[in-house]
Amino acid sequence: MDNIIYAVIISVIRGGFYSLMAVGLSLVFGVMNIANFAHGEFYMLGAYFAYCGSVVFRLNPFLSILFAGAAVFVIGVGVEKAVFVPLRVRSKKNWLMNTFLLTLGISIIMQNLVRVVVGNRNYGLRRGYFQGNMQIFGMGISNDRIICFLISMAAIVGLMLFLNRTRLGRAIRAVSQDATGAQLVGINLGFIYSFTFGLSCALAAIAGACLLFKDPATPIVGLAPLYKSWFVLILVGMGNVGASIIGGIIVGFLETLAVDWLGSGWMDVMSLGIIMLMLIIKPNGLFGKKGVKSAVE
Amino acid sequence: MPEKQEGRANTTKRSVTDAFKGLGFSPAGIMAMLILGLMPVYITDNAFLRVMISSMMYGAFAMAFDFTSGFINITNFGYSAFWGIGAYTTAILMMHYGVNPWLGMLAGFLLAGVAGFGLGLLTIRLGGIFASCMTWFLALALFAVATNWVGLTEGSKGMSVDPLIASDSYTGIFYIMFAIVLIVYVVLMRVSNSNIGIAFRAIGQDTDAAQAAGIDPARYKLINFTISCALGGLIGAFYAHFSGIIIPKIFQTSNTVEIMALSYIGGRGSIWGGLLGAMLLLPVMDYMKGMMEWRLILYGLFMILAMIFYPAGLSGLINIVRGHIGRILHLSGKD
Repeated sequence: MDNIIYAVIISVIRGGFYSLMAVGLSLVFGVMNIANFAHGEFYMLGAYFAYCGSVVFRLNPFLSILFAGAAVFVIGVGVEKAVFVPLRVRSKKNWLMNTFLLTLGISIIMQNLVRVVVGNRNYGLRRGYFQGNMQIFGMGISNDRIICFLISMAAIVGLMLFLNRTRLGRAIRAVSQDATGAQLVGINLGFIYSFTFGLSCALAAIAGACLLFKDPATPIVGLAPLYKSWFVLILVGMGNVGASIIGGIIVGFLETLAVDWLGSGWMDVMSLGIIMLMLIIKPNGLFGKKGVKSAVE
Repeated sequence: MPEKQEGRANTTKRSVTDAFKGLGFSPAGIMAMLILGLMPVYITDNAFLRVMISSMMYGAFAMAFDFTSGFINITNFGYSAFWGIGAYTTAILMMHYGVNPWLGMLAGFLLAGVAGFGLGLLTIRLGGIFASCMTWFLALALFAVATNWVGLTEGSKGMSVDPLIASDSYTGIFYIMFAIVLIVYVVLMRVSNSNIGIAFRAIGQDTDAAQAAGIDPARYKLINFTISCALGGLIGAFYAHFSGIIIPKIFQTSNTVEIMALSYIGGRGSIWGGLLGAMLLLPVMDYMKGMMEWRLILYGLFMILAMIFYPAGLSGLINIVRGHIGRILHLSGKD
């Protein structure tokens, strides 16, 4: 029984971070119709900035996570202006696949630029953000895990409130439903696109910054979060921001199960197998809605 | 009498050019292939030949990749899976069961084709990005399998493979690779210049219109996908014997990305563009061996530039140059 509770808690915590990654990815997909394969790179940058904040500037953990989010937001906006604006001017046909290739190029460049600048060394926190353990149902779980999980949940809740309650958030949703219509009522599309991309990058960076206590920053640290967030997206349906939160938790559960049954090496095989089955049986995702984004041509 | 002879010479000349054209070679293409094929005669430096072999290998991969991405507009983002399937098939057959490496390469070719056919059946009905994700996930899953199934693949420590021919010089292997390049090129050109190729292009440009014209997209896409994957397996099997050791990292995404970048830089839908891109870029990249990062940054930059500003790639540039030359020749011929 204890084991089950422990597994549940670990799964939810694990899944929470996947949700945070997937929400950002889903947002960009829904609003800008971009298949972002550089999402993991923003995660990686977040981890580096958080390291920089907490070790170099000696900020407190909350501030360094916030610092990472803000810095990557700026970078994200810069990338959008530099790359997607010209692409949007030039190409209308085949937009989605072009963005996929383009973000792949961005990802290669960012990964290797980081490698040039800081090298292949691991930058990790020696003792995590917060010391000590917390007792939950009699089980010791490190403070790091719990507080960082809460931070990521706060980020998701904040995003939902922002999207639903503020003027700018409603404008973003309007663009995701109908870009031309939104433009007709006076929404500045260019601004919304840049802001959304920056926001999505910031969410990835917060995830990277939170997980710095366990995964040290390296140039390739973003790969696993990237494909896991793609799992989530395919599992729940593309561009469905709300469902991505649940999807993240489901993937967290799947992985905990796979680790318990098969050992950690086979974890990826199992979750990949399930996702591939998913694509075969129900390609529009668990919560796929008609008229959102469809997998079948 | 002399007139008649000249006429006969002319017809044989024409039929030879026609034969080459039928195989997909333009005069410039024949020249390029001749230069490439005669290279080991002039340069016997092993280091240089090794670079040329691996450039040709990447070029062949890029051509086979372009056959899917440039024609039916599906980006096979798990192409390294087929490379790995080919390589591991021949390696396992040879090292565990003592099968002849040539048969092993054939088996790699067939198995990659079967895998491509199976995966194609499942992915073809999915559109664009989903097909890419599906193939990508297959490569990721195979990477994990190859790492963890130590009994079969010897895991991340790597599996050593004997060469195809025991020789100190790379000349023999160069010609084997050259033959593979020719096979890949001729097969792809033959298919793409046939009726099937026209159907491929129609599907790539507008699936609905192609369907309305009576083309069954699923069937043609499947044919295309299978051919591309099987050729990838053949080249991958060659790679296993060429490199002497294979590790699960073959399956990693960066291999696919490198092939993909070459084929996009070469120009979509041209087939030979990928080979040209590889032959021009990889030797330069080899000089930058110590700077792996910059090499990849260059790839990324080229890819972005090709995407945004010049989707026709190198082959597009060359076609423009060729058009100009043709016009000049035509004008001077008139005078």
